Amino acid sequence: MVSGGLIAGPIAVLGLVGLVMYLRRLHLRQFRNYGDRVIAFDAPKTILVGDNAQGKSNVLEAVELLATLQSHRTSRDGDLIQEGAAIATVQGQIERQSSGSMDLELILRRGGRRTVALNGQGLRRQADGLGTLNAVLFSCLDLELVRGGPERRRAWLDGLLLQLEPLYSHILGQYNRVLRQRNALLRQQVRGDRRGVTEPESTDDHAAELALWDAQLAIAAARVVRRRARALALLAPRAAAWHRDIGGGTETLDITYVPNGAIAPDLLEGNEGDRAIAVQQAYLSAIREKATAERHQGTSLVGPHRDDIDLRVNGVPARQFGSQGQQRTLVLALKLAELTTLEELLGEPPLLLLDDVLAELDLKRQDRLLGAIAERFQTLVTATHLGAFDGRWLDGARILTVRRGQIDATG
Amino acid sequence: MQRLPGIGPKSAQRLALHLLKRPDAEVEALAKALLEAKQQVGTCQVCFHLSAEPVCEICRNPNRDRLTICVVADSRDVIALEKTREYRGRYHVLGGTISPMDGIGPDMLTVQPLIQRVQREGTREVILAIGPSVEGETTALYLSQLLKPFTRVTRIAFGLPVGGDLEYADEVTLARALEGRREMA
Repeated sequence: MVSGGLIAGPIAVLGLVGLVMYLRRLHLRQFRNYGDRVIAFDAPKTILVGDNAQGKSNVLEAVELLATLQSHRTSRDGDLIQEGAAIATVQGQIERQSSGSMDLELILRRGGRRTVALNGQGLRRQADGLGTLNAVLFSCLDLELVRGGPERRRAWLDGLLLQLEPLYSHILGQYNRVLRQRNALLRQQVRGDRRGVTEPESTDDHAAELALWDAQLAIAAARVVRRRARALALLAPRAAAWHRDIGGGTETLDITYVPNGAIAPDLLEGNEGDRAIAVQQAYLSAIREKATAERHQGTSLVGPHRDDIDLRVNGVPARQFGSQGQQRTLVLALKLAELTTLEELLGEPPLLLLDDVLAELDLKRQDRLLGAIAERFQTLVTATHLGAFDGRWLDGARILTVRRGQIDATG
Repeated sequence: MQRLPGIGPKSAQRLALHLLKRPDAEVEALAKALLEAKQQVGTCQVCFHLSAEPVCEICRNPNRDRLTICVVADSRDVIALEKTREYRGRYHVLGGTISPMDGIGPDMLTVQPLIQRVQREGTREVILAIGPSVEGETTALYLSQLLKPFTRVTRIAFGLPVGGDLEYADEVTLARALEGRREMA
């Protein structure tokens, strides 16, 4: 047992496995329920064991934040900072085949802006820190990918794109900005209409101004939607293959991107520049068709903020399909596809974070997951008991006990 | 002091303490200068740049090219461009960019005076020197649509800073520079 936060491990493990350790060390300060804690990762699998609400998931959340700058549990930085503290920091020491050793730090401020530092240098844009650490998180909330609304599926695909393409954060940010501006203008027009402002000159001006934002929306929307469709096209065959593998080959999974606003799906295929123009044109005509409805509702009704990803098993929408077990199989297939897509495109295996999901998977699914991870992926697992899953998970694993913000090595 | 742009609580305190230590005459001169500047400086009737006279120095200068107008969002941009000493034309200050979220529509900018000016002066080229933000792009698009019937409209290039190494440029800037690439002569 090691007290005081630093957990030193046998360095020999690294040499034995032949796996380049990805995340070597995590230092949390005033983050959630951790005051000041260093966790060293020295085995391909790290299993964090403890009762609920002791801080296991907080560790995985910290890693998720370093990888995506987002948490699946909260969108408010204040929630991430220890009670009574003003600042929290999450610092990771990362070792990659491609770029060697790096030090990535996220600084969260109560009521202030976050900053990201790489190797001690503050980054001008937070998003420049994306891609330093790549991770796939699989938690029990991911069942919502199948059961929940379209926003869940969009956020999932966006999360993958943020890790794959450094520019996507900017592209999505620009789209959201255009959308907010256009919605502000539509709301003004609704208010104007209600006030009875119908002077011909004023409505002409409004129409001209709205046309500007229509054009900007079409350009920004085309960028977002083409990148999403492209990423999904890479992911879909892998997900279908995993689904066949886990489900024993009896069911067929089909994944398609469903763009809102009468954009023909085949328009999103291919990479040529003229396709971008065609998609923009399609958006402009869709916007024209919805003009009356938009004027009444005062909000943008066309664009990728309303898209969905259609998941079908044997032709039936997955949401209505079968048992919870079948839905779990589907989510597992999506997550494994995410993992292997990232691995192939980045040329290095990402980190895998399994947050309280092992106990929910039956032995067959656990077996498939173990097989997929093999020795390639550094994996962080949380669980309430070690007995709740296949004993093979414990092979070569470092087991850490988490209790009220204390972490101790037990294995 | 803290209400001034770019001044935080610490700087504000430093400035206030410094002023208290200076001789009365000096503080009085500063206060007077501030008040006079506020009372005397208005905007140029032609280009809307800051000016103590009805028409600013740049617009009055007979050596400047009268047929080229550089359109900027703010007077600060005029000052920045003037420092280059490379631009010999004249300016037009819009007074902001189109931003419905902030309640700024085209009618709140000096767009109509610009169009009248271009028609009146027979301008040969309008250079749009507005930043590449979403609002800047939208404003540039708007102006180019309105001005194209009367004159040639160009937009300044965006890309890598001179003297900057490619490897240190961020992805957004690099992508932008790729987009704006040019054929070699």
